[in-house]
Amino acid sequence: MKSMFWHICISLALHSSVGACPAAEIRNEFDPVIRSSQQVVVKLFGAGAGTLDSYGSGVLISESGHFVTVWNHLVNNSYLNAVVFDGRRFSVKVMGTSLQHDLALLKLECEDDETFPFVDWNQPASAAAGESVLAFSNVYHVATGNEPVSVIHGVIACETPLVAGFGRWEFPVKSPVYILDAVTNNSGAAGGLLTDLAGRPVGLLGRELRHRETDMWVNYAIPWRHLQPVIGELLNGRRVMPAIDTADDRQMISGRRLTADFGLTLLPSILTKTPAYVDRVIPGSPGGKAGFARGDLILMADDRVIQSVEDLRAALATYRKGQSVSFTVSRNQSLEGLSLKIP
Amino acid sequence: MPGLRFHHLTFLKYGLILFVLCQTDNTTGISAVACAADTVRDREQQRIDTIARIAPTVVCVMPPGGQGGGSGVLISADGYAISNYHVTSGSGNFMKCGLNDGQVYDAVIVGIDPTGDVALIKLLGRDDFPFCTPGDSETVRTGDEVLALGNPFLLASDFTPTVTYGIVSGVRRYQYPAGTFLEYTDCIQIDASINPGNSGGPLFDINGRWIGINGRASFEKRGRINTGAAYAISVRQVLLFVDHLKSGRIVDHGRTNFTVGTYDGAVEVQQVSNLSEAWRRGMRPGDELLSFGGRALTSANDFKNIMGIFPEQTRVPLEFRNADGVQKITVRMSSLHDFEAAPQLPEERRPQRQPKDADPDHDTPDDDDPHGQGADEDEPQVPAQYAHLFEEKKGFANAYFNRLNTDRFMKPLEESLAAAAATAESKGATGDTGWTLRVSAAIDAAEYVGELTVGPKGAGLDLAGLAAQLQPADNIDPTNESPQLYGLLTGLLQWQRLFRNDRRLFSEVSYFGAEQLLPAEDDRTKVHVVIVQDGPTISRWYFDEQSPWPVGVDVVLSAGADEGRIRFADWNTSGELPLPDRIGVVDSNSETINWIKVDSIEVKRPNNNKSNNTARNNSRAIKVNS
Repeated sequence: MKSMFWHICISLALHSSVGACPAAEIRNEFDPVIRSSQQVVVKLFGAGAGTLDSYGSGVLISESGHFVTVWNHLVNNSYLNAVVFDGRRFSVKVMGTSLQHDLALLKLECEDDETFPFVDWNQPASAAAGESVLAFSNVYHVATGNEPVSVIHGVIACETPLVAGFGRWEFPVKSPVYILDAVTNNSGAAGGLLTDLAGRPVGLLGRELRHRETDMWVNYAIPWRHLQPVIGELLNGRRVMPAIDTADDRQMISGRRLTADFGLTLLPSILTKTPAYVDRVIPGSPGGKAGFARGDLILMADDRVIQSVEDLRAALATYRKGQSVSFTVSRNQSLEGLSLKIP
Repeated sequence: MPGLRFHHLTFLKYGLILFVLCQTDNTTGISAVACAADTVRDREQQRIDTIARIAPTVVCVMPPGGQGGGSGVLISADGYAISNYHVTSGSGNFMKCGLNDGQVYDAVIVGIDPTGDVALIKLLGRDDFPFCTPGDSETVRTGDEVLALGNPFLLASDFTPTVTYGIVSGVRRYQYPAGTFLEYTDCIQIDASINPGNSGGPLFDINGRWIGINGRASFEKRGRINTGAAYAISVRQVLLFVDHLKSGRIVDHGRTNFTVGTYDGAVEVQQVSNLSEAWRRGMRPGDELLSFGGRALTSANDFKNIMGIFPEQTRVPLEFRNADGVQKITVRMSSLHDFEAAPQLPEERRPQRQPKDADPDHDTPDDDDPHGQGADEDEPQVPAQYAHLFEEKKGFANAYFNRLNTDRFMKPLEESLAAAAATAESKGATGDTGWTLRVSAAIDAAEYVGELTVGPKGAGLDLAGLAAQLQPADNIDPTNESPQLYGLLTGLLQWQRLFRNDRRLFSEVSYFGAEQLLPAEDDRTKVHVVIVQDGPTISRWYFDEQSPWPVGVDVVLSAGADEGRIRFADWNTSGELPLPDRIGVVDSNSETINWIKVDSIEVKRPNNNKSNNTARNNSRAIKVNS
């Protein structure tokens, strides 16, 4: 409370003209806070596929280039670059991850003497419903190079456990998260910074998820105070959950489910890139009704290129029951279009 | 309302600090809360007053018949209003516009800028329309509070605009074009709610100054509704184009004849066309581009952003660094497209115009909704009393406005020339086939005195101490111009042609728009441009609004050669022939003007070998030609 008091005094000193003469021209009160917060957010560029974006955001938490982001597909791919506020570009190294926080700690692969602005991860603001907040992120990839990241204003609507997901992927964080009243969680925003109006860290912006009951898009952030202990552990070298540096942790539907529910059996996935050949089709099953036949090579599912059995199982995992998927298959040296309803 | 929520904490802070201050004054916490409440109320009242002031300028733009629509903003009392090209493109040449007085006005298309997604329309029927006050979008900063006004989802049946509040999320943003048009460069990113129907509407700063046109948003998987990331065309760009749009043309954007890349935090020139002005000014690949259009550059993106806000054919200052140091030059931009007809919009960028039973979430009124009052379907699409305000012509959105504005500058000139000719005739003069000007010039600190002659067949320059030059009228060659006074002779030949006061001599006389005349003597030297095409020779005549006489002309001598840039100052209309007392010749290498003083003029008569001299300034010596 004492620090709050001093913060108030300082902000009044900075912006006293507004309070002193309310009829005067209204000025931008947030400029210094915004400028400093924009500098600690990095723009991430990696590999995406289908509805998974190839770009994201992260928050620098140390002078030597440690940063945190959401533990999503970008982190799991070997190709990932980070661009800092002044346009410097670095490859990155995963230091540790935590599934239950949906968090990854990474480090810029920089020279030993290079330094970066950072947010004091150990001094989170304790924010509650009603708090005005600012969200900083590389949303929609609007900013490139040394261009400042986007900032959106909003209010914390509530703090509540979140039951949400995307496709068949389930949101793993069980502790309460901040729900925001602004459209903060769009493409590329995951891993961005939520601050209070004084620039102190309030939360880490989350993914694009739909609420499981309402199917509405959810704008949420993981409270920084929940991340604080795990960031400390990760910085101390404890990999809370080992990062997997291949795409093998992609959510996939099982081969058994593919047979049981879809009526499709593929060639056994022995090689890392076993082509998605259909081995067997159960007549009358969804796969059978869609027109699949033994020997079909599945090439595309909607706009996704299918290069392997894994690709297909991962692609199918992103759909919800009842959705339609258009497949392109190669059959007898010609291409066929098939349509399947997800069972 | 988000605005209230957003400020609540700020006010809480002030409330707390006032509480502290009040306590030292031995007052109570209750009065401190009252202090804070007053601040909140003051701020709210200020916002209400601002919205009340700006709302009358906001236009609901609808196609005749009232299906669908977008927004716009009035910029002058005579009814000119700015909207998006993607709003007006589906509305036809005449549209219906609602204002917050509840009235529907007819409006006509004036000019379009498909590349920048801007359109100019004119509301009809009044000459006292309310209009907005532009701000300076160059000073807009991230975090500035903004108000977006417009017509989302066609909500207001009485055309009261919907107001959404937000902050600036980013400045100098770039949004890719669809093909090569609808490109948003150097735009303002905002988090105020922008939805279908907001397009073309104004963005204001929190103090009510117009800073942009809301035209697009990042729509993705959530559908065509607010996503927290919308983009407004900067008012700086719109104002650079307003007079071009008044020309009635399909206005194009400019491009440079060189390319750049970013290397180690510097903007480096990659390629330069060797036919370009930049090349002639010494720019070469590898040079560092420092600024363009007055904007310091740190990346190739910066360059792409700022380049995109200029109309075609604009002369723009730039700085580059080469081995010899920093070079400050100006270049005239080329045209990006050379439109002959308005381009077709891609499907997803067309305004949504659903049948009446369509999804009510879209910007289409319900069946029983009284939208588009006064615009019922029986009414003719083109109101008879306004039909004359539209003229179709290749390359134009509405050629009527080109004629209007061409006459705006040519008519006063022609009337003044006719009056001057009448005066000359009354003094016994009968023609104007040849002029001889006694002139003196100071170039590089040296004084030169001599003669300038100009006639139908050619122009000559004979200054003591400089090589004599002759430029034939039928075979203009840049090498015939004196290096010290480059372009003067060709400029004079065009000048004499124009002064014959007969537009039929030219294949085109057409208003083009307005720009800043460079080199500028101050920041406000805005001039209007009339393009005159005379055979292969194209001249840009410059007029200001104070005088019927031109302030200058830039003449294209030939492709790949510098244009002649001539300036006129201190017009003297007391003599037989109206002439400026001073003629300036721009040295494009140094961007300075060499001024020539006109001491006297002699007009040769076609049927009279005797010359008729007119003394000027009474004290000047007159040379009599035999």
